[in-house]
Formats: sequence, structure tokens, C-alpha cells
Amino acid sequence: MLDRSGNHLCQMKLHHLILIALAFIGLTACEKKSAAAAAPDPHLATQGTIEVTARLLEIPEGAIFQRDLYDYAAILKYEVVTVHRGSLEKGTTIYIGHYNPTKPRSEAADKRVKDLGGNLRQFRTGDLHHMALETPMDEHYLGGIVDKYFGKHQGPTHWAVWTDLEK
Amino acid sequence: MLKSTFKFLALTLLASTSLALAAETSADVSKLANEVRTKGWIAFPARSAAGDWDLFLMRSDGSERRNITNTPNINESYPLFSRDGSRLLFRRLPKSETIDGNRYGDQGVPVIAKANGTDPKELGKEGDLPWASWSSDGKKFACLSLKGISFVDAETGKTLRTLKRNGFFQQLIWSPDGKWLSGVSNAFGAGWMVARMNVETGEANAVSQQDNCTPDWFPDSKRMIFSNRHASDVSLGKTGWTQLWMADPDGQHLQLVYAEDGRHIYGGHISPDGNYVLFTGNPQEDGDPANGGAPMALMRVADAPILGKETPTLRKLHPNAKTGPVLPLPAGWEPCWTAAEITFAK
Repeated sequence: MLDRSGNHLCQMKLHHLILIALAFIGLTACEKKSAAAAAPDPHLATQGTIEVTARLLEIPEGAIFQRDLYDYAAILKYEVVTVHRGSLEKGTTIYIGHYNPTKPRSEAADKRVKDLGGNLRQFRTGDLHHMALETPMDEHYLGGIVDKYFGKHQGPTHWAVWTDLEK
Repeated sequence: MLKSTFKFLALTLLASTSLALAAETSADVSKLANEVRTKGWIAFPARSAAGDWDLFLMRSDGSERRNITNTPNINESYPLFSRDGSRLLFRRLPKSETIDGNRYGDQGVPVIAKANGTDPKELGKEGDLPWASWSSDGKKFACLSLKGISFVDAETGKTLRTLKRNGFFQQLIWSPDGKWLSGVSNAFGAGWMVARMNVETGEANAVSQQDNCTPDWFPDSKRMIFSNRHASDVSLGKTGWTQLWMADPDGQHLQLVYAEDGRHIYGGHISPDGNYVLFTGNPQEDGDPANGGAPMALMRVADAPILGKETPTLRKLHPNAKTGPVLPLPAGWEPCWTAAEITFAK
């Protein structure tokens, strides 16, 4: 009985050790995974000529709407928070065209506009977006533009190539 | 021949119940059909019995319809007669590729053929000569791409000159007098805006201030016709129905041509004599090129505006509009009309 229960105790300790070891390995793996997830997508550094983190200041009424047969780009207003690459300045207000804005960025590209992407699923006012941009937009996009800021701003409109949500 | 023409017309009229022509008698419509029967030929893409899109020709009253490509494994779309009616430019694309209402001018391969569809020759590869439109003398094409507007020698394919595109992005059409281009532009504040560009200077102006598309020219180049997403329904929180409007190219004298709540009107094309207008209309956007196209129809320009369906909102906006006559035609998409007489091998 003692021997048996003593063996049982040993077995339980061994099980605990194995469980602890597994948990440690799991935690380490998770840390590595989350560190990998936090790393910027490589497209941000390689696509476009500008890379910024910017805050979406507003979504004007009527700028983003669902209409299946009409692919378009919506112009949205941002404040630059961090400049990773390119000649923009922190604090600047910029205007950026996003293609097929009702769709997640990973599904926005089509036969007309290729090479778009990102993990952003939905545009929300106040969110920070880490983006790779081209400029000016009309050298990179041929299609309908919904620009609620038309005639209200100077300077080029940028073209969003890659858009990730910055958490 | 006369008997078969009338038989065809009667069948077409019966089949086209979607057209709301209640206030007009079939006699008025028959009179219109008789008027236009000898005024040339209409080319249009339509679904063939094999399920692909082929090019068809028919008399202006809808009679003598014939398939001129007969390619069950290939789609053909966007036929454009040269201004003298001797040649036909179109796009050839795989059967598996859906014709896209916003990309049809650069889809597939450009092809040139005789007006009756014979002797087709490919003019390049996939995507070449995007949105190509004939010059008035048939010696050049104006083309539109991201890089700009290019003027291309129709014989050699050599680019002769380029212009900045000034926001133009689709549906480029060279005016009959050769001095202007029309197209859809994003440079004037609306997403899709019909605009006019001076061929020499590249200067452009908006023709209408609302969302609109599929522009075409009157033969004197002094008026344009286009589809217009009018605000009557949009103000009620809906997307609205696309209507057919015309205006001077500087935007003056904007006037409704045809409207029908319940059908989007696209494909507006003016007859070579300037007296009639051809269009498509159905509940789906863009004339529904992804499926079967849309019933076509034509009316006299002098009868404009016409309301295809009586609704209080439209009647209030257009109190003096007529209700017809409108001649129903078979289903098709983006038709083109020539006054030239086309002959066929027996």
C-alpha cells in the first residue's frame, strides 16, 4: 500500500514536472510568436516610397459606401505620428486614397488594382495605421475617387499600398 | 423581307414587357421602327446560344439580327465602328473572363475587322490599346492608360503623341470633329464625372456635376449624351436609378433624355444623323455585362424627355415629359450605330 502510494506520489510529481516543463515551453513559444506578430510586416518597408504611422482623423459622411459594381478609392484624412521612411514630417495632415475601402485590406486588390495589402480590416476614426504609401496618387491609380475634401486641401494625395492596424 | 421585319418587331414588342410603354400605342412604336429601319446598322455584344458573348449586327429597328463573330470559346465586347462605318474595333477576351463595366476598354486583346465582322486581326496583346477610340478619319486611335492619353497610328501601332490624362480614367471617346475627347474623370470632385478634353491642349472641363458615365457625342460634336445617377432617389436614402441625360460639352443646357425608376439606363449612343438615341436599361447596374446584358431600346431625340414609367417623383421633376414612343430592341450591351450600308457574303 505504502509502496504503491509512494510510487503513485512519485508518478504525480513526475507528471507535475512534465506539465510545468510543457507550460514553460509553451509560454516561451507564445512569447516568440507574439514578438514575431509585433514585428512590422516586411511589405511596409519595401513597398511604396513613404512609410508612416498616422492617425485616421475622421471618416467623412458618404466617403465609404457599399456598392458592389463600383470599385473606387476613398480619400481619408490623417495626422502623421511617426515617419519611418520618406520626406513627410511628424504632425502633418495628409490625405490618403484607399481602394475598395469597405473591404479588409487583404481583400482590397483586384484585377484593376494589384499589390495592395495589410492587416487592417475596417477603417475607424482615431485608429493608428502603419502604412506604405506612393505619391502622387494619380500616378498609381486609374479609377473612381470619392474625395469629400475635394478643393479643400493643397498638396499631393497619397496612395495607400499597404495598411496595417497599429496596436 | 417586309413581312419578316414586321414579324420580328411584333415578337420583340411582346417579349420586351419590361419596358413600360403603357401610354404609347404600338402604332406609334411601329411608326418609329419604320422611320429607323433603313438608317444603317447597330453592332452590339450579346450572349449567344453557346453562352459566350459574341458580336451581333442588326438593322436599326432590330430586324435582320445576325451573329458576326460566332466564337463559342471566346467573348467579344465593346464594338466601335470607325466613323465611316467601314471597320469595327472590338475587344476579344477569354470566355471565362467576365466583362467588367469599368474595365471593358482594356480587357482582352484589341481586334480590328471589316464592319461585317470578317477578316479580324488582333492589334496587340492583352491590355494593349486601352480604351481605344477612332479618330474621325480612321487613321488613329486615342487610348487611355495610367500613363496618360496616347494617340496611336492605327496602321503601325506607333504612339504619335501623348497628353496628361487630367483625371480621365475610363470610357474615352474621340469626338466626330476630331477636336475633343470625352471620358470619365475623377478630377472634378465626383467619383465618376463625364468630362471633355481639348485634343490639342489637354485642357479639360466637367460636363455634369453629378456621378455620371458612358459619354458619347452627337455627330456635330456640339452635344454629349451620358448616364447620370440623378439625385431624386439618392435624397431618399437610396442609390438612385441611372438616367440618360444630354448637355452641351461645356455643361450648359443639361436636359433629361430618358428616365425610368426601376431600370438603370446606360449605353447611350446617338444615331449617325443625330435624330435618335439608343440605350440599354435594366434593374442591374452597368447594363449587367456579367450576365445577359440589358434590353436595348431607341427613341427620337426630339421626343426627349421621356419617362419610361410614370412615378410621382419623376413627374414632379419633369412635368412636360412624354411617355414614348420607345422602340424595344433585343438584349445587348454598349451598342454602336453606323449609317454605312454593310454587306454580307451569301
